[in-house]
Amino acid sequence: MAQDGEEVVQYRNFFGLDGRLIVWIIAELHLMFAAFVLGVPIFAVIVEIIGAKGGDIKFDNLAREFTKLLSAAFATTASLGGLLAFALYGLYPGFMRYLTDVFHPFMFVYALCFFGEAFCLYGYYYSWDLLAKKGKWLHISLGVLLNLFGTALMFLANSWATFMMAPSGIDMETGLVTSLYHAFYNLLWMPINIHRLIANVAFGGFVVGAYAAIKFMGARTDEERAHYDWMGYIGNFIGLAALIPLPFAGYYLGREVYSASPVMGSIMMGGSFSWTFVIQAILIGMLFIGGNYYLWNGMGRIKGAERYTPYIKYLNVIIIFCFAVWLTPHNLPLSGEERALIGEQYHPFSKFFGVMAAKNAVVNLLILSTFFSFLIYRRANKGEIMPFSSHGSTAKIALIITAGLCIMFLAWYAVGLSGVELEENVKKYLSPLITCIVIQIFAIIITILITFANKGKFAQAFLFGVTTIIAVMYMAYYGFVVMEKANLVLRYLSVAQLAIVLSCLITNTIIDVFLFKNAKEVGGIRWGKMPMRTQYALLLLCVVIVTLMGLMGFIRSGLRMDWHIYGYMQDTSAGAFTPSIAYMGWTVCLIVLLFLSLVTFVFWLAGLGEKGKH
Amino acid sequence: MSKSFINAVIFTFLILGFFAYVCIYVTGLSGGGGGGSATGVNPEAGEKVFWGEGQCHTCHSVGTSGSGTRGPNQEGIASRAEEDAKKTGFASGLEYMVEAIVNPGSYVVEGYDNIMPKVYNPPIMLGREKILAVLSYLQTLGGEPDIKAVMKVKDKIPEASKKKVIPWVPPIEVDPKEGERVFFDETKAAACSKCHIMGERGTKVGPDLTGIGAVQTPQYLIESVLKPSAIIVKGFETMYLITTDGMAYNGIILSQNEEEIVMLVDEEGEIAEYVFYPEEIAQMQKQDISMMPGNMSDMLTTKEFYGVISFLLNQK
Repeated sequence: MAQDGEEVVQYRNFFGLDGRLIVWIIAELHLMFAAFVLGVPIFAVIVEIIGAKGGDIKFDNLAREFTKLLSAAFATTASLGGLLAFALYGLYPGFMRYLTDVFHPFMFVYALCFFGEAFCLYGYYYSWDLLAKKGKWLHISLGVLLNLFGTALMFLANSWATFMMAPSGIDMETGLVTSLYHAFYNLLWMPINIHRLIANVAFGGFVVGAYAAIKFMGARTDEERAHYDWMGYIGNFIGLAALIPLPFAGYYLGREVYSASPVMGSIMMGGSFSWTFVIQAILIGMLFIGGNYYLWNGMGRIKGAERYTPYIKYLNVIIIFCFAVWLTPHNLPLSGEERALIGEQYHPFSKFFGVMAAKNAVVNLLILSTFFSFLIYRRANKGEIMPFSSHGSTAKIALIITAGLCIMFLAWYAVGLSGVELEENVKKYLSPLITCIVIQIFAIIITILITFANKGKFAQAFLFGVTTIIAVMYMAYYGFVVMEKANLVLRYLSVAQLAIVLSCLITNTIIDVFLFKNAKEVGGIRWGKMPMRTQYALLLLCVVIVTLMGLMGFIRSGLRMDWHIYGYMQDTSAGAFTPSIAYMGWTVCLIVLLFLSLVTFVFWLAGLGEKGKH
Repeated sequence: MSKSFINAVIFTFLILGFFAYVCIYVTGLSGGGGGGSATGVNPEAGEKVFWGEGQCHTCHSVGTSGSGTRGPNQEGIASRAEEDAKKTGFASGLEYMVEAIVNPGSYVVEGYDNIMPKVYNPPIMLGREKILAVLSYLQTLGGEPDIKAVMKVKDKIPEASKKKVIPWVPPIEVDPKEGERVFFDETKAAACSKCHIMGERGTKVGPDLTGIGAVQTPQYLIESVLKPSAIIVKGFETMYLITTDGMAYNGIILSQNEEEIVMLVDEEGEIAEYVFYPEEIAQMQKQDISMMPGNMSDMLTTKEFYGVISFLLNQK
């Protein structure tokens, strides 16, 4: 205990090593394991429900295998969490003293939730056989409870991290807590919660996919190969499905960072961190390309898929084009000679790709294209379909309810837009957005009617076409118009674009589900008959998403620059500077290697028990 | 260990190698060498500050290094500063550069906006020694470093502000859109657009406020609205002019040459343009009082006032 007059220790190093580097590595490892442990139960329970409803034991076995990985990773997550807490309290005692002062009531809740998660996880895993026959839904409820505890844990820890970025509920001069509620529910809390929740599912899906890929590559029997091929497919499916809404969650988070602190927002998009977003675009592009590549190759094991292969080359071109536009920086670096030659600071052509109007358009096109890949993959094995009317009133009601919800959401947003209080000469630029939404609403209604007339495939194509014309082509053009004349409208345009694209994805998914229900199979899927290169695609997806998480962790934490708690508690340690991107790159590589090594080791340990049983 | 596992490990290393390569390449492009603390007044330390904590590279490139284009490229800055010093009456290029850092709005290079922040203020808060180091680095760009000369100007550079950056939150809940409405509603006396340009809208009597949120603090904006005379932006000082026939005018000079002076005069809320010829001017004097109304607090409700501030802060 410090005596009067004795200086209280604020920082320590770790046996001569930089304390910040140690905390960075441990925190990121803990976060990655936690993402896996929180993401996997979400889809493990969904897969179990599918198995329970359809009576297919294959799904039940898959959910169980996911949970086996989960239970092995859980203990490592907890150990890393403990290590992180010790590292923080040991190396940053001054900062942690304050954070504990503010959040100690929630820290106890966190510990209680941790007990809840541990009991539910082990209960869920070990009661699988016990509740297999008579208590299946009780078992599923246990899985749901596990997810609730996991989500609560993440939400609690998120509030501490976001408080550091956007502190509220305290006196910014004295640090005195004025509202614990506002300190907890700060401006960035919910955006981070949503972003991490979705990202965890994508992360879990791709890590499981890589596990399956390794197992597939080492499989000795056709049966094993078939099982792990299927598991890899499910992992990729889950990863990509979660990846699709992730850019929207990221946009929401970025917008709120700007709202919380314009200085931080400028640092993020226009200052020290702007280049890291170019790297982020490369990694996300790799995910989309890798995911699509896997799907297209997967069609090779499906007899009948050759009908759809001609589309792939066009999809390839579209996806690579979108990727290229996405990663084009606004201020594309030009040499002095190039600047002199061009006569202006930006390239006359590529400068258009660097702005939000173009990026919003290509992100939506990328998502529509990936969704299209999913659809052609799904129908690769299907031949003649049953008329939509043959599915009875259930299909009609499901479609009407789903499309109705989409229409209600679109109408709600359009009404909201018409009520936005803006200067008349700015507000007039909202009218085309409202018109676009109304056109989409009519397009959905027409799609439903065409589907009811047993022309479901045409209905899907019609909705795709209308959506692409409105949300990608027209809104890309209109984005440039509003950027020049009424920049404020751009934020409404982005949301309208997103709403229109999502309404198309949701409506077309429901049509597809019923359209191909009980459809004749052309030749079946030959699970296990996958070229080895596809397994490398799964590995790529896993390594890339882990790297992406490392990169985004650096950005989120680094945005505070030299502040522990932005604007209140300054970081006065030797490691208060923002490291270079190259240094970050090497550190993230080290973290990824450590994580993958640990995961491999933990999964190997989990497999030892199985070997014994065999 | 199976061959497939070893292949997977090699493949992982290749992906990570690619990622590391991209990071190194981007570091070269962005010039964000960052890292490490720089000490002493010398070009090496200054270069580190320029590309690191000084964040100069966010807006300025040096030759083909860096990608900042908001501000002028700093290649050859030392020799250019000598020429600028002659034009503006400074004793040396170094003194001109000092002025450009201490009061960035004094001499804005043609073709660029007045957006440079005062680097000794939050959030950059560069110390005096680091600014001197940057000056010595800038001397090497088109000239020779002269540390002695740099040390002589140290008193002209303010010490870093110790004020903390506090993310600004209005004391009451306000909507920036409401602020935008007030800003442009020219049916009201308090409409800011009567005298200020925002984007392509408004009238250019006072300073252009386009992108103001990126370069000014909330405190500065609040003070500028409530006490417009506290800080008057250079070039927008009120002039008091008396003609030879005894008429007095208060206004802002729009243009001035040997043949005529064009002045913007506030006439009961409306801005009128007057042309005066040298022979009809008896007296002309700069005033310490801004032409902007000093009673904005009476003209705006609290909600409207903070709405306008929020709107201005959103303009980046």
